[in-house]
Amino acid sequence: MVPPVQVSPLIKFARYSALLVGMLYGKTRYDYLKPIAAEERKRENEEKKKREELERIAKELAEASEDSILK
Amino acid sequence: SFPAAVTYSKPRLATFWQYAKVELVPPTPAEIPKAIDSMKAMVKSFQSGHLAQLTVKEALRNGLVATEVLMWFYIGEIIGRGSLIGYNV
Repeated sequence: MVPPVQVSPLIKFARYSALLVGMLYGKTRYDYLKPIAAEERKRENEEKKKREELERIAKELAEASEDSILK
Repeated sequence: SFPAAVTYSKPRLATFWQYAKVELVPPTPAEIPKAIDSMKAMVKSFQSGHLAQLTVKEALRNGLVATEVLMWFYIGEIIGRGSLIGYNV
């Protein structure tokens, strides 16, 4: 087995600082995006309800005004 | 089958652990000033125009090391956001 290499302290320090910075970045970006996404979903739900309401009304009007001897 | 997988991976895990114990450990508090000194020496050599003496082989090796350090940032981001792919908001 090849003996393990002695890694320079600079590289070790750089690696683990990058890891730490990455963790902090991921956490802060997640906390930033979460409320925005929740807001987006709320708006989507409201608009969807309004659209469905309008479609329901349109459908009922269409059925009511339909002339057909089959009914 | 699970027992076969365990039998296969045990020695390989042991080899990995042997290397990781030496190569992947974080810096001890004593090593941090050494790291800062190396950084200063690097900046100074960069300023003094040592760049002209750099061989392509050395430059490629340094680029590879820098890329690996960059990848640790992305691993940290995965851990920080708590998901493997994308942000689960």
